[in-house]
Amino acid sequence: MYRLSKLRFGFPIGLLIMLLLDGSLSHIFSSQMFNYPTVMVSHLVVLWLVTAVLYEENVTMPLGRWAIVAGAVFDLYYTGIFGVYIFIFPLVVYVTRIMVTYISPNFLSGLLIYFIDITLVEGLGFLASRVVHMTVISGSSFLVNTLGPTLALNLALYVILYFPIRWVYNWLN
Amino acid sequence: MQKFSFNRRLVIIIVCLIVSFALMTVSVVIRNKRSTPPLIQQFGNDIVGLADRVVALPANGLSGSVSSVSELLNTYQENQQLKKQVSELAQTKVRDQTLAKENKQLKQQVKLNDSLTDYTAVSAAVITRTPSSWQNQVVINKGSSAGVQKNMPVMSGSGLIGRVAEVNKTNSKVELITDNNDSANRFAVQITTKSGATVNGVLSGYKSATGQITMNNITTKAKIHKGDKVVTSGLGGVTPKGLYVGKVAETGGDDYGLSTKLYITPATDLTDLNIVTVAVTKQ
Repeated sequence: MYRLSKLRFGFPIGLLIMLLLDGSLSHIFSSQMFNYPTVMVSHLVVLWLVTAVLYEENVTMPLGRWAIVAGAVFDLYYTGIFGVYIFIFPLVVYVTRIMVTYISPNFLSGLLIYFIDITLVEGLGFLASRVVHMTVISGSSFLVNTLGPTLALNLALYVILYFPIRWVYNWLN
Repeated sequence: MQKFSFNRRLVIIIVCLIVSFALMTVSVVIRNKRSTPPLIQQFGNDIVGLADRVVALPANGLSGSVSSVSELLNTYQENQQLKKQVSELAQTKVRDQTLAKENKQLKQQVKLNDSLTDYTAVSAAVITRTPSSWQNQVVINKGSSAGVQKNMPVMSGSGLIGRVAEVNKTNSKVELITDNNDSANRFAVQITTKSGATVNGVLSGYKSATGQITMNNITTKAKIHKGDKVVTSGLGGVTPKGLYVGKVAETGGDDYGLSTKLYITPATDLTDLNIVTVAVTKQ
């Protein structure tokens, strides 16, 4: 039924808006979020992808392909280093789909799944940056200064946005 | 059959890893070597930038109205302080104009067209910021069509904030001086000490714990004091001379006691950027 529903156009538009909102939020709240050395990174686009997997019951969406598109735009427009998030975002969708087969998705189990996903995104992003020498931060300070605050922010965003996003999906479907 | 599918998955993972590494390496090389990104990337970035303006405009407008309400509360005090400063500034401005005029006439006499201090300022608005902890980058709404080129210095308020890292047609990426990566451009700066000696050097990094810029490997004997002003020296590249970087906050020996290490407080708040100025020099 994916072809006939509003999701066909609504999902990519929402994905783009979330992608751009990530940047806007980082810009507007930069003095709070990038309070060095503590850094919080918002990953609304990951939230949009993961919640799509969680709400995907009888409608199957080509999430992997859209994750690749989102990753490509993220790489080209935001970081300028191509080949990082274009692989990480589809991987997150894949991992989430595997986890959903084991755990039935609801609000709380979704929180756990999203916790793992954000850890994956940040961890792999950190490894990639270390490889191309974009950063020289050690692993322990990454855990304390970036991963911890980022998880806190994104889990808070998940709690706030879980029901609004579900409402949007139901409306689109 | 099970074994075959496991092998296939392994192959896919390894191929993905290799492609990822190759792409990353290529894009880092392109970013460091070439003055503009490939045409497809430029085109894509311009289109996304256009879409981003639609999202960023209401978001920035909202934050602007919120901050203007909060600023309204201490406007009265600020106004009184600023009035005093303005009357002093008028005097400086008139003197500055006279000196600039004299300078121009003198340059004409010695037939000197452009010196290191000449640049034209292009103002740009910040559209968005890279949501990543590894790259301190902002995207501004002026690109190569406005004369912006790679490696040009960018200022905000009174001081230097970074350099242009990537130029597209209608937007460009600015790498802030808080970025600590290996390939970040190091600005050539100079300090004029209280005794009149000039100390040249290169900015070497950013100490995120204190929010200070560091400057290494200074072997001069001249005494550098706290509060000495640091400006760009205009040596080696597209940076014009005389852009304000910040004030010396602390001087100390380096790890081996051979040279001096300086900590510089930046002149502008690097986390609150809305309007920036690109210093465009004639090449």
